Amino acid sequence: MTAKRRDGRSVIGDLAMSGSSKLLFPRVASSALEAVYLNSSGGVTGGDAFDLTAEALPGASLRMTTQAGERIYRAAPGAPGRVDTKLSAGDGAQLIWLPQETILFDGAALDRRLTFDLAPDARLLASEVLLFGREAMGETVQSLFLRDRIDLRIGGELVFADRLRLDGDASEVLSRFNVANGALAMASVLCAAPEVAARLDALRDALPETAGATALSDDLIFLRLLAPNGFALRRSLIPLLKDLAGSDLPRPWML
Amino acid sequence: MTIPTATARMAMLTAMTTDPHLILHQLFSPAFPVGAFAWSHGLETAIQDGHVSGGESAEDWLRTALEFGAGWSDAVLCAQAATGGDLDELEALAAALSPSSERRAETLEQGAAFARAVHGVWGAEIPETAYPVAVGATFKALGLPVRDGLRLYLQSFAANLTSAAVRLVPLGQTEGQRITLALMPLCAELADKAMAAELDDIGGFAPMLDIQSQRHETLYSRVFRS
Repeated sequence: MTAKRRDGRSVIGDLAMSGSSKLLFPRVASSALEAVYLNSSGGVTGGDAFDLTAEALPGASLRMTTQAGERIYRAAPGAPGRVDTKLSAGDGAQLIWLPQETILFDGAALDRRLTFDLAPDARLLASEVLLFGREAMGETVQSLFLRDRIDLRIGGELVFADRLRLDGDASEVLSRFNVANGALAMASVLCAAPEVAARLDALRDALPETAGATALSDDLIFLRLLAPNGFALRRSLIPLLKDLAGSDLPRPWML
Repeated sequence: MTIPTATARMAMLTAMTTDPHLILHQLFSPAFPVGAFAWSHGLETAIQDGHVSGGESAEDWLRTALEFGAGWSDAVLCAQAATGGDLDELEALAAALSPSSERRAETLEQGAAFARAVHGVWGAEIPETAYPVAVGATFKALGLPVRDGLRLYLQSFAANLTSAAVRLVPLGQTEGQRITLALMPLCAELADKAMAAELDDIGGFAPMLDIQSQRHETLYSRVFRS
């Protein structure tokens, strides 16, 4: 899909959907276009393939989220679920990508790729949250295949790459003192905007001890946050995202 | 007496030294001027926070850094650069993978110093780029054995950080050497796996280390640059 600017508001440009991937466009008060991704099959399992491509055209503002947390179910060996998301923003455009949590069930196998392509003066706020198991039900993730990649290009140049790779007994690895010290929830946040590094000190003051933020350039902040569970993570993450977005967050992210 | 040109000097040195293992040892000796002593990879934060407080916890931290952190990904980047991978792509990826500005400076500055030293000594043109890629390009340019080179690369990564722990925790020198010895099988295993790996096998999961390197930037008093 694309978002384009018309009469001071952002509206749908092109739109094409197929399979169980749907986009909903709730009416919002802001001038941005809000798009809510919905996987009507209810989750991802082995052999599934999901592709999403979205672009904020020059000057447009596109805010994307998901209708629910994405459940990654137990997969048969050898066939991970594949999720490929390509997002871009043109000159002067703003892109906000705040999907709800990805919940990795015991036995999950996920091969995921998320790429951002920004024009040099475009703005991006993106967050990805991984939850390892459904803590409320006492489930631990003893078997996992995870390949989770994020690439960020600005003006065609690769400026950030994240490669998460975790196989086998994830709960054992996460419990290690120097890996995650038992945290079952992790957020990764990217914020790209001209001179965004000037906001780093204020952002750091608001971080819990289990989080860190850095300016990889004057125009790019990266943040990693660990929390014991999804609820604690939301409590820390939402104020940070709200501050970075400079506006209200899409509805699923309101506490 | 005439001063030999870089090319003539290279021919002379190559004639003098034919044992590639001795060259590998030279490249990874603490005396090789890459400035490794200045960087702690975030370990200084772990020590100040009390996460690392003795030999056992230092060894555990290093295992995480090798197996789940930069150790493995660097080994794959290095192996790819040594065996004909696309250097432009590897340089961009290696720099982009750093989770903090200080970790980015750590790999870029060491890589640039390494490339300059190799050029100064052997005359080889090595890109001034992220450390593992500059090292891999050197293995290729000087025809050095890649598997042995990767083992030494990982061992020197661990040994440099062990010596940071020896200074900061502090640990005894012998305890530091015990840790280096204990990590040898892991270095060898990762080097062997990296030889067979593809670029897409890069990656790990060490969020605590990422966060420690990010928080290092705001430590009140610091000995190390990362």
